[in-house]
Amino acid sequence: MNEDEIITSLKNRFGERVHNSKIAKPRRVYVEVDASIIREALSYMRGSLGFDHLSTITGLDSEERIELIYHIVCGNSIVVSMKTNVLKTNPKIGSISDIYVTAELYEREVYDLLGVRFEEHPNLSRLILPEDWPENLHPLRKEATLEQIKSRLSMNGDGINERFND
Amino acid sequence: MGMGLMSGSMIKVVIGPQHPALKEPERFIIEVEGEQVVQVTPRIGYVHRGIEKAMENRTYIQNLYLAERICGICSHAHTTCYVQAVEDLLSVEAPPRAKYIRTVIAELERIHSHLLWLGILAHEVGFDTFFMYVWRDREVIMDLLEEISGNRVNYAMNTIGGVRRDLDQEKISKILKGLEVIEEKAKKYIQMIQKEPTILKRTVGVGYLSSIDAVRYNAVGPLARASGVKRDVRKDDPYIAYDDISFNIVTRDEGDCFSRMMIRAEEILESINIVREALSKLPVGDISVKTRLVIPPSETVSRVEAPRGELIHYARSNGTDKPERYKIRAPTLANLKALCKMLTGIYLADVPVILAGIDPCFSCMDRMQIIDCEKKEKQSWTLDDLRRYAREWYQKH
Amino acid sequence: MVSETLIFLGQVLIFPGFLFIILLAFFAEWAVRKITGRIQNRLGPTYTGYMGILQPIADFIKLLRKEDITPTMADKIFFLIFPIMYFSLPLTAFSLIPMTEVQALTYFEGDLILLTFIFTIITAMVFLGGFSSGNIFSIVGGTRSATQLLGYEIPLVFTLLCPAIPAGSFSLTTIVEWQQNNSWIIWTQPLGFGIILTCMLAELELTPFDAPEAETEIVAGSITEFSGVKLALIRLGKNIKLVLASSLISALYLGGPEQLWILPPIMIFLIKVFVVLFLMVSLRAIFARFRIDQILAGMWKYLIPLAVTQFLLTKILWGW
Repeated sequence: MNEDEIITSLKNRFGERVHNSKIAKPRRVYVEVDASIIREALSYMRGSLGFDHLSTITGLDSEERIELIYHIVCGNSIVVSMKTNVLKTNPKIGSISDIYVTAELYEREVYDLLGVRFEEHPNLSRLILPEDWPENLHPLRKEATLEQIKSRLSMNGDGINERFND
Repeated sequence: MGMGLMSGSMIKVVIGPQHPALKEPERFIIEVEGEQVVQVTPRIGYVHRGIEKAMENRTYIQNLYLAERICGICSHAHTTCYVQAVEDLLSVEAPPRAKYIRTVIAELERIHSHLLWLGILAHEVGFDTFFMYVWRDREVIMDLLEEISGNRVNYAMNTIGGVRRDLDQEKISKILKGLEVIEEKAKKYIQMIQKEPTILKRTVGVGYLSSIDAVRYNAVGPLARASGVKRDVRKDDPYIAYDDISFNIVTRDEGDCFSRMMIRAEEILESINIVREALSKLPVGDISVKTRLVIPPSETVSRVEAPRGELIHYARSNGTDKPERYKIRAPTLANLKALCKMLTGIYLADVPVILAGIDPCFSCMDRMQIIDCEKKEKQSWTLDDLRRYAREWYQKH
Repeated sequence: MVSETLIFLGQVLIFPGFLFIILLAFFAEWAVRKITGRIQNRLGPTYTGYMGILQPIADFIKLLRKEDITPTMADKIFFLIFPIMYFSLPLTAFSLIPMTEVQALTYFEGDLILLTFIFTIITAMVFLGGFSSGNIFSIVGGTRSATQLLGYEIPLVFTLLCPAIPAGSFSLTTIVEWQQNNSWIIWTQPLGFGIILTCMLAELELTPFDAPEAETEIVAGSITEFSGVKLALIRLGKNIKLVLASSLISALYLGGPEQLWILPPIMIFLIKVFVVLFLMVSLRAIFARFRIDQILAGMWKYLIPLAVTQFLLTKILWGW
């Protein structure tokens, strides 16, 4: 199966909900799908087109939306980057950890750093940040500046100081 | 660390963040019944340096140095992946000679990384003599890398649009001589691994991962190849000079620690051949091209076969000299799920062997968050403060 | 009368008593580190004294000066007793071993049994010591020591007693005497020598039987929580145990101290001790570590039947 056929079969299956598809260069396919069908699209890719390897999930802050890019690989050669996006005010999307087992870790990473909630995730908890990290500070969002993160970290330090002073 | 909780016959053994079996700070909470492992919970993130966020705030040239420092062992793999992504965003291509030099360094790096790992595994099974021998021989490669690049670990060979140092005839003959030594030793090690009864006792059948599970848990690199999954980015998705070089993907079917050991030992031999072929075919010409530093909006996915497996970088540019987003996924994170699967149901004594078996590189895996509170802590926390805090904390808990 | 007491006291305290044995233990540690280093293509200690010979003493003094920490979770009394016992038990056992002449410092019918008992008690101490510190790694390490004991104890006792059969006595002194009148036991019972060497490796927790203190799994096993003076004593105790084991093997199987040409018996004895030590250290350097279940299975499957065979053979050869 080559790059063109992958896009064609995706379009045949999901019609209008697949857009902005492009082949950037050999073995690199980019395609955008609606957030509502991301689970269906990925399980179709895995089940019918043989994309059995999820390389990673990239989370990306683009102004009022958060983009999610699922990088999946078929037989380790063609890389399809399937994009979708969710609203920043209500970042929610279905978890794909039942389709790709490793997605569990990648989703926790995105949850940790961008605050996207993955629904029906078996264990959506912190993976990377410390347990006492503030709930609403997502370091990889654009509004979180380096200064802000630094000041939050030093606030944490003060917190510790207070704790041992009393 | 080391505070165990006993409830009934279950004992919780906490391995890490500081533990002699893990040279890097990660934590695994292992629930043990007798000597058998019932459940494993990993917790990562102890060595976050916030590299992804930092990259968004630095220029492409500055980021090259950050990429070099993601990992101390596979620094060349990370920069290769990085420069490849940036060159792709710029639509430029490195000159052929540069590509070949990148290949040579990449394979030398693979050899030294695999030797390092062989030594560590020997240490984990308590065979310190083997460990000392392997690490002594690894110095040959380290010296070669120093000879070529001036550095033992962060080689700083890659730059956007090519490489920074050329290979001359003298260096090439030195490399070839060094490779002969390593080839002879590697063959000896392969024989030793296959015959030494105590090594066999500790590795054969330990940490079994079936090929179905290797695919299901998206295992990458030598871990997947040791389970019979023929995956290698060098072959499947060729980059730099791998297109022109003939080599085999080494796979084995056993799926245990022994086959992981054999795979890496045999890959050393394969890498030696790649370096030899690359050196014999080394094209003449420039080693780098001049590039712009402002990159128009675009995006790219770059993949490299690091010594530990598939490494993937995703980059998006926005028309400035800084990236909009730079995403890094190191091979160890991909193998973490498979690792937990392998650890369940085995003996506690096998845990370090299996942990080491995936060749974990935790500092590659953790890289995102800014940990810059050091200054603050230094100002307000003396050692006595810390001790007092620790004492009180322990009394409370 | 008074001078006799003084001489005896000197023998106990200085030569060939405590001081001599402690120095010997330091020397043995240096030898072990140097030999292991050379086998592993390293240098070993080089800095302190000639070829680093003073390094173990320097380490000992360094440890004496370190902070002595008792964990909150530890059983205070036993945590204190363990290092003292671990150090003094093998030291006491030395008075039963003939070193300067055929007679040991003290000897009586059945001192071999007492030695066997001391070896077992030491392991029992390790087990209790592991539990006393309350650390999870120590508990696992202590349990492993005790488990391992189940494996090597029986063949060890058999091979300790085999030399007693031809000599017709359970006294080490008599056995050494018998060997000097007849021949070394190793010539008539080579199998027993191999078995006792293996068992001693296990008793001393050296690779391949070092599962109880497997660094990469359970840090330092039983002794993880000990520091300062206690750790110094434990380490010294370990070295004394190492020398004790080699001495016992050379006394039982290699004929013990004997006059050879102009060399005094003690020289010959020390040469034998270091030959045994060298053997054990080389064995340690060329193996990987077995898992505890593999150790146990191997001991029961191979070592115990072999030990029983040796025992029966000796019995048949020397008559009932």
